[in-house]
Amino acid sequence: MMTETEELKTTVLHSYHLEQSANMAEFGGYDMPLWYPSGTKAEHLAVITQAGLFDTSHMAVITVEGSGTFDLLQHSFSKDLLRCQNRGGATLTEGRSVYGLLLNSDGTVLDDAIIGQLGEDRYMIVVNSGMGSAVGAHLRELAQGQVTITDYSDKLGKIDLQGPASARILENLFSDPDSVLTDMAYFSFKGDIFPGGSAALELKDGTRVILSRTGYTGEFGFELFTEKAKALNLWQMILAAGQPFGLLPCGLAARDSLRAGAMLPLSHQDIGNWIFGYTPWSFVLPWDNDGESWTKSFVGAQRLLQSERDYTYGFAGYDPRKISAGSTSEVKAEDGTTIGKVLTCTTDMAIGRVEERIVSIATPVSKGRPEAYQPRGLSCGFVRVDRPCLPGELVWLVEGKRKLKVEIRKSIRPDRTARAPMAQMRSS
Amino acid sequence: MKEIEELNIPGDIYYSKEHEWAAKDGDLIKIGISDYAQDQLGDIVFVELPEPGASFERNEEFGTLESVKAVSEIYLPVSGEIVAVNTELEDAPELLNEDPYLNWIVEVRPNDIDQYDELLSRDDYLAMLKG
Repeated sequence: MMTETEELKTTVLHSYHLEQSANMAEFGGYDMPLWYPSGTKAEHLAVITQAGLFDTSHMAVITVEGSGTFDLLQHSFSKDLLRCQNRGGATLTEGRSVYGLLLNSDGTVLDDAIIGQLGEDRYMIVVNSGMGSAVGAHLRELAQGQVTITDYSDKLGKIDLQGPASARILENLFSDPDSVLTDMAYFSFKGDIFPGGSAALELKDGTRVILSRTGYTGEFGFELFTEKAKALNLWQMILAAGQPFGLLPCGLAARDSLRAGAMLPLSHQDIGNWIFGYTPWSFVLPWDNDGESWTKSFVGAQRLLQSERDYTYGFAGYDPRKISAGSTSEVKAEDGTTIGKVLTCTTDMAIGRVEERIVSIATPVSKGRPEAYQPRGLSCGFVRVDRPCLPGELVWLVEGKRKLKVEIRKSIRPDRTARAPMAQMRSS
Repeated sequence: MKEIEELNIPGDIYYSKEHEWAAKDGDLIKIGISDYAQDQLGDIVFVELPEPGASFERNEEFGTLESVKAVSEIYLPVSGEIVAVNTELEDAPELLNEDPYLNWIVEVRPNDIDQYDELLSRDDYLAMLKG
């Protein structure tokens, strides 16, 4: 049962996790906390009702600079950078970021990524744990024209602060919080910690950070990037500032259950080495107004149009019971035919069914949450099937003798705060 | 996660290799999961209990425990008939994390009481955990 920590990489916050007696496990080549002693249920609920703090320093960050950068990113990234702001009407600008996919030429997914524009011909790309080298190589091979690609894997600290109290917690870290936080849009960021950057953002104590209004929980919050040497201090500062708000450190188990309830994919599990099909994330593709073709050409584009593609859907069960994702389980239609497999299955502890309707602990009473509601949790995740399914359709997740009835869904956890107006989240 | 020294492993009951405990209660045997099991599983969010009256062989799966991320089967350490199930666990599965010894899972009428003596003592169970 002992983790082979000598073989695994560690983040700069590793000693904190061990000191707190976190339950550790391997993820993406790193020894990471699954949960802390408060437990994954408390951590999941903390993010929904107050705030949670995640060490995400295992993720990879790459910068791409030079006159050939824009063309390289347009060619390699699924989203059309000219049409990704203001509901597709406007181009990516400095201080804004966008989510999309890096496809291989065969239409399979290399990784998902968030690309942010640091400045003219300067971009940062955040990809998944351990992917810095592969993504860097992929881009280098595609680059034409002047491009410098720098891999910051294992050189930065990255910390995610997520939950409705996040902005109020951060206020304590800035000398002029209004100048930083007022009107900060979803998928925007402030600051620059890379060489050649001029838009520095400093905390009260002088620590330089990038503050990004993004995250992987589906709730209101931020991702913070800083140099490795400052990361532990930043972590401790946020924990201290967050204490009056009930901030809890959270591990990867809560991260996974939160993102699943928010219907966000996990790279190499819900998207990966199969042709990107019809999924809940098809907004990452640069459809034109007719929805028939693309507004730009990009790596993998042709294969998507030419190939048979299958279907990925979100689902939610009726109680917390789950099935293992992977090859031992199957998805069956009501008539018993096998139609696919389970990609992800976990429990969103913040939700439950009230007469078939999914209700969250965050749902207002006026919208149907019973007073003093204690959700029992619902299984949720993604299935990959060989035929189209409709929202509301029931399918069976089967593993050996175990059979679970689940519902195909367009959304799972309701009343999420990811896009809530900043002003609303800053007032207590 | 608890270190082995921090685990609560009472000496007056027996254990199985699958981390269940068994305690004699008159003619019957109460069954639960050890502190090691609940610590490893993390927050238990759902317990699937058998029907009273059902019979199982030794080491046969008699129910499941759901944590947030995974399903764990539980195996009956002695063969017999289920005479009672702890229905409190249906509404409050977290009781197994809070006190895995107070909060038993099922009560069994054993077919063969010798099977009870074949289970692991506290010392044997600890040795297994350390090994």
